[in-house]
This record gives sequence, C-alpha cells and structure tokens, in this order.
Amino acid sequence: MAIDANRLRADFPALQSSNAIYFDSACTALKPQAVIGAEMSYYTELSACAGRSHHTLAKRTEEAFEASRERIAKFVGAKPEQLAFTKNTTEALNLVVRSLDYSARRKVVTTPLEHHSLLLPIMEQQRRGVVKAEYMQVGTSGEIDESSLSLIGPSTALVAIHHTTNTTGMRAPLEKIVKAAHDAGALVLIDGAQGVPHSRVDFSRLGADFLAFSGHKMCGPTGIGCLVGKKEAFEKLDTFIVGGETVETVSLGSVRWKSAPKRFEGGIQNYAGAIGLAAACGYLSKIGMQNIEEHERRMARALLDAINSIPGSTVYGSKTAPRCALASFNLAGVSAHQAALMADSLSKIALRSGVFCAEPGAAALGFPKGAVRASLYLYNTEDEVRTFAETMGKIAKL
Amino acid sequence: MLCFVALAVFLILSIFSAKYRPLARRALDCVVKKATLRPCDTGLDEEIKAASISGIMKISPGGASFLNRHFEAFSLLFTLLFFVSLFFAAQGLYNFIIYGNCNGFEGGFCIYSGVQNELFLKAPSSLDGVSAGNASANITFIEFGCYTCPYTKAAEAGVKSIIAAYGDRVHYVYKAFPLPSHPYSREAAHAAFCANDEGKYWEYRAALFENQADVQARGPAAFADIARSLGLADFGSCYASGKHEDLLRKSADECTASGIYGTPTFFVNGKAFAGPGAINEAEKEIKRLLGE
Repeated sequence: MAIDANRLRADFPALQSSNAIYFDSACTALKPQAVIGAEMSYYTELSACAGRSHHTLAKRTEEAFEASRERIAKFVGAKPEQLAFTKNTTEALNLVVRSLDYSARRKVVTTPLEHHSLLLPIMEQQRRGVVKAEYMQVGTSGEIDESSLSLIGPSTALVAIHHTTNTTGMRAPLEKIVKAAHDAGALVLIDGAQGVPHSRVDFSRLGADFLAFSGHKMCGPTGIGCLVGKKEAFEKLDTFIVGGETVETVSLGSVRWKSAPKRFEGGIQNYAGAIGLAAACGYLSKIGMQNIEEHERRMARALLDAINSIPGSTVYGSKTAPRCALASFNLAGVSAHQAALMADSLSKIALRSGVFCAEPGAAALGFPKGAVRASLYLYNTEDEVRTFAETMGKIAKL
Repeated sequence: MLCFVALAVFLILSIFSAKYRPLARRALDCVVKKATLRPCDTGLDEEIKAASISGIMKISPGGASFLNRHFEAFSLLFTLLFFVSLFFAAQGLYNFIIYGNCNGFEGGFCIYSGVQNELFLKAPSSLDGVSAGNASANITFIEFGCYTCPYTKAAEAGVKSIIAAYGDRVHYVYKAFPLPSHPYSREAAHAAFCANDEGKYWEYRAALFENQADVQARGPAAFADIARSLGLADFGSCYASGKHEDLLRKSADECTASGIYGTPTFFVNGKAFAGPGAINEAEKEIKRLLGE
C-alpha cells in the first residue's frame, strides 16, 4: 500500500511549524505527535522510577517501562529479555566492543565504511592492545569485496558490521557475513542505526548475535537506544556501566550481578525515552514497515534521478545496488558545505555536509573532503525532491 | 578574509543583541587562527559566502555566479576597504577629540559635528560683541568666527547678504573665537576691536578676510598695513596696549561654555548651526522665523 506522505506530514509538528524540506533523517528523524505525547505522558502521569520503589506510581512506571521493552523488542523480532536499553547506538556498540572477552580470540573484523561509533571503540581497543582490527576491502562503489570474508577465521572474536551505511544507504551482505562469522565461531555485532528505521529487521532471522540501534532515527526520542542480543551472547559480555539495579546482592566483598539485560542498565533509565520509542514502534508498525520500504525505494529512485540530472554531479556508491532513500553527492566547482548552506538559504532544504562521522568511509568512497547528503524518510514527497533538483541545479551552475 | 570584517560587525551588533555574541566569538576564533597562519575551521567564512551568494542569486543568477568565481578577490578588496575606512574613521575621531574637527587644523565637514551640534552646542549667555542690524529685533543671529579661518572667510558673503537683506529685522552679533590653531587668530580679533574703536570695524574686517594669507603670514605687520590703508590713527597704540584683552578673554570663555569647537558657528535664536553649509542653514532658519 502506498504511503500518502502528504497526509502523514500532518502528524509531525516540526513540519507544521516550519516549511523546511527536511532531508536529514539519517542524522535524526522528525518526531510525530504520538511519540511526543507518549514521552510527555511519562512526565505528566508517572514521573516515578521503575524497579525500586513499591508505591503505585513506581509500579505503573515499571509496567510502562517493561511494556515498552516488549513493544520495541517485538518491533525488531526479538524477545523482551533480549533487549537492553542504552543511551543510543554509540553506547550499545561501545558496550559490546569494550566488554567482550578477548582472552581466547583477539581479532575483530570490520570495514572502513563503519560509522565512527563502531570504528572508534574497535580502534581504541586496538590501541590498548586488547584486540587486533582487520578491515574488509571495499571498492569506491561502496560494495564489500566478498573475498575479504576470508579475514574471518579461528582467531576472530567479533565481526562488527553495518546493516545499512549512513554514507550511501547501501546494505551489507549480512547473510554471508553472519554465516562466515558463525562458521568460524565468531560473534556478529550489527550496527542497525540506519537499517532498523528504514526496513523490516527481524533479529530472530538475522542470525546475528547483537543488534544496536537508536530511537531518534526512527521517529523516536533522542537519548534512548537499544542493544538486542542473544542470551548466550550477552553472557560473554563483562559488565559495562554498573550501578543501581544491576545487582542481585552486593556486599563489600562480593557482587552477584543480575542477568542480561538488567545487568547492563545501570542507574535510572530514560523511562520517557523508552515509552516514546515504543510509541514510535507503534506508529511505524501502523503505517507498515513494508510500506515504508516501498516509499523509500520510490524516493531513492527519484532522488538519484534528480541528482544524476544535474550536470557535474557525482553520486557516491553503487549505481545499481539497492539503497534506502539516501545519497551522498558532490557538485563540481562547489564545496559541499557551500552547496548545503545555499540549499538551506535558497529553498530551506535541510541537508548534511561533511564526512558524516565516517571519515575512513568517506575516503574509501571517494570524498575525503566531504560531500552533501540527502536522506529522506516516510514524510518526504516527490514535490520536495523536485524542489531539491531545481535548487541544486541552480547551485551547480555557479 | 571576511572574518575580520565579520568580527567588527558582530562585535558592534552584539552590544545591542546577545544573539550576535556567538557569531562574534566564532569570528574572533577565525581571526586569531588566520593571524597565526592556521586555517580557519569555524565555518563562518563559508556561511558568509553562502549567504551572500544565495542573496544575490535570488536577484541575479549570473551575478551570483560571477561573485562565486571571484569571491576571494571580492572579500580581499572588501576587507582592505574596511580597514582603510576604519583607519580614516579613527583618524577623524582622534582629530575631533583633539582639535574639535575631523580634519584637525583644516576644519571643514566632519560627520561627528552633526552629533555634536545636537548634543553639545549651547547658545551663548550674552550678546556682547560687535553688533549690526536691529538691536531690538526678535531674531538674534550670532556668529562665532575667526578672521584667520578660511571657513569663516568663506561664510562672510552669506553673513553680509543676511545683514543686507534682513538687517532691520535681525540683530547680528559677532563674537571672536580666538582659535590657538589659527595663526594670529587672537591678534586679528584684537586688531578688529581696535578698528571698531575708530568706527572702521567692517572695513577692517573686510580687509582682514581679503588679505587673509598675508595676515596669516605676517600677523602684526599686516594688521598695521591694513590700519594704515584705512587711516586708523590710534590703531598702533590701541593694539600695543592690549586694550581689549578682557573682551577677548570673555569671548573665549563664552566659546568654551557654548561648546564651540570650530568656526564659523552660528546661533539663530539659540539654535546652533555648525559644519559645512552652516550659513545657508542659518539663513533658512531666519527666513522661517520671518515667515518667508
């Protein structure tokens, strides 16, 4: 069923209060009133803490919080006990990379295309002498050279990979990677920050050991993220951020930790964020992720056609591989920052410019000095893409 | 390069509105980096460029393209012009503070004078001085002048024209403003008072202006020559005695009290007129008061 983006736009207060053409959803998505209202409801109706006190408000907060966990887990095809709340994807990725036991295997395999939030924890662990990082080959088309899968072997502890890149919108060949990793006895960590909002992701079918994603890129609030993991995978993680509610009992001489996911949720959690994210999952489910995928495919075609029609433009990534509605590009003779600033000034088009927190990836794809990125979502229309094309065409003529 | 200009502009704007302070800080950061030969990474240069090209693009896409191609050259030129203007503005302000006029000794048009007229000039308290016209008239037309000042000389035709046309309805008073920066200013004023004693003030005044260059060069010798040409028998003794020093001192005190900073300065019924075109503005005011 085709999405009526024009009708959906009425759900987003930010679109009502400004006439911006918001093409920066890969950075953060706009929030529908349903999510804003749900988050507010925590503050107006609950405002207590969960799992600690026993009064009515606390119990209602606990119920709402755990119901949110269940709702979100269901959205990604996981069980509630497989989902730990974090601050964001960055924290979830750091949790796995920093807490995994590398005593038996030290290699971590990843790609240069990864977001800094995955790349940097790995590089830091390498700097500390804890792991040895190796990188799969990637062509300028953004496709992973599958012969690089041979890097995954008996010494590999972890394969850390994106679901969908934030630079080209392309997907990694996860089935092959997960198989290669498991065949070698390695765990797989997937950065789902761009994938989960834009496509149907079923953790139970993905086969990966961990999946990390954020609320704010999927119409949810900022400050909430999730690490979904298999029970046995969680068991391999040491503690990370410890504090209140991470223990069964503690004395000065000993600690008995709770099992996952609670063991990884130290301190008061972002209850409002969790409730808001659950509402976002409900909102997206109501529209239907398959409909969102279909809308994105259409928008991706329109976007690429628009950019390719501009003389002197270069789109990065494969010309043929499927992608979500995201494209990084440059215009000949105009710097990326200038193009993005002028698009905003001329037609209120919100674009990102730079290396998108993926500097090695930008270099691998052919834009080490930066590019412009347009990233669309369910509330964008073809009219907006036409305005984008006209505006970028004018800028290209400079 | 534009960060230098941006710093000045945003610093001034941030005095009036806090929203410009982050921009001023970014501009300062950029200026410091450029001054220490490091690349500016605040992005402010690019924002200014994008905003200006976008603005021009809405009017003229060709113009925007031209500006984009030559932006570095334009911003260098603009920055140079800015600094040159800043230098002259600072020089003018310095002269204004020290000499009371942007141009220092030379006098002439000074933009700060306009402000000064409104805020600082007060009408003199007395009508002492050399008079002409109708002493009982409702309109007083006072001139603070200097016989060795080229601008007072330039206004003289206008003064004489006003006295000729409206002398029956206007009371004209001349007060000497002995400027230390004008050669023999005080001495010429004294000489004119001496000529006034012998009833030949206006002739002596006209001769002082006519021979201004000679007066500025020779001072007392020129005064004596003019007195001789007008047949002023007692001029020498009057001039030598310093007879009118009290008058001159009083006149100087009045100038200070009125806030006079340059010559000529006119007052028409207490309203001050200074700067270029002051005599014309004074005449307009007189006509207005006369209902013409």
